[in-house]
Amino acid sequence: MNEKMLNKSNNDLDKEINEESSSAMTDIVCYLRGANISTYYQETVRRDLLEMVLSAQDRGESIQSVIGEDYKTFCDEVIANLPKKTRKERILDFFEIFFLGTAILGGINLVMSKETITLLGNIISGQSLNFQMSITASSLLLYGINIAGACIIVEVICKTALNPKKEKHLSKPKRFIIGGLAGGGVMAVFILVAWFGKNTLFTVNIFVYCFAVLGLLVAYKIVKVIK
Amino acid sequence: MIPSQMLKGILEGCILKIISRNETYGYEISQKLQEYGFSLIAEGTIYPVLLRLEKNALICAQYRESSCGPKRKYFSITESGTKELHTFIENWQELETGVNRVFAESEKENQ
Repeated sequence: MNEKMLNKSNNDLDKEINEESSSAMTDIVCYLRGANISTYYQETVRRDLLEMVLSAQDRGESIQSVIGEDYKTFCDEVIANLPKKTRKERILDFFEIFFLGTAILGGINLVMSKETITLLGNIISGQSLNFQMSITASSLLLYGINIAGACIIVEVICKTALNPKKEKHLSKPKRFIIGGLAGGGVMAVFILVAWFGKNTLFTVNIFVYCFAVLGLLVAYKIVKVIK
Repeated sequence: MIPSQMLKGILEGCILKIISRNETYGYEISQKLQEYGFSLIAEGTIYPVLLRLEKNALICAQYRESSCGPKRKYFSITESGTKELHTFIENWQELETGVNRVFAESEKENQ
């Protein structure tokens, strides 16, 4: 069974798990996703765990009776006994994220750029058309920040999925203030980057831009096939 | 309860021995180990050991239909697994003899 089929069959089995085990399984799978093992092995382990948990469920036992209370130690032992990702797999993983992330952000930039909006307005009103699109320093910087930020967030969520849940010791107003400051800080960074990087670095024909975005999606699909 | 560090190495040999008798699956292995006197050996405890044995080609696995639930993973011993089991038995006998002598000597001293 290949990786795609395994994933589909695991998703089907996942629906049979009861509510109590489901949350634990989600945390375990999330932790495995962040491990240095290939997606194929992640799915293989997931299938084995689903079989164990579903069989235990049939016997009227809980997930704790199969895995124990310490999910993190269990997962670390499992990961330690599986082959690590090869250099080729790591490179392919990088390009898969890079191509897909760049294509999505490129597509968003295309849809939201003022040149596209102006071009659409001119088509409707029948005015002369300008197919040039400007790429600013800020759009490149924000692209980098978005990609890096997304990777860091995923890494943190995966690595801490099985950490003991901490009691919320902060009061609601304090949490509100901290959340507001963090959100405001991120917004301030984005505004500063947009303000200081508004100079156009180069211009590109809108059709060339579209082909580049499509090319990235094709490259992403090719990497998926190679994997 | 046996400390986990002591258990790890011994468990590998015992699991190989159980699998060498006939093809079996994780839950059955954990049940047999409990019948033999290993307390609190859950299926999850032996799963990493089974993965290690499989990675080292000492056992091989095959998925088969189960009477209840999804397909079950059945394990059988390989040729290198059989050799490894003989080595384990030899090492264990040597260790057992040594440990027994140490404790027999200590008992004599106490008397």
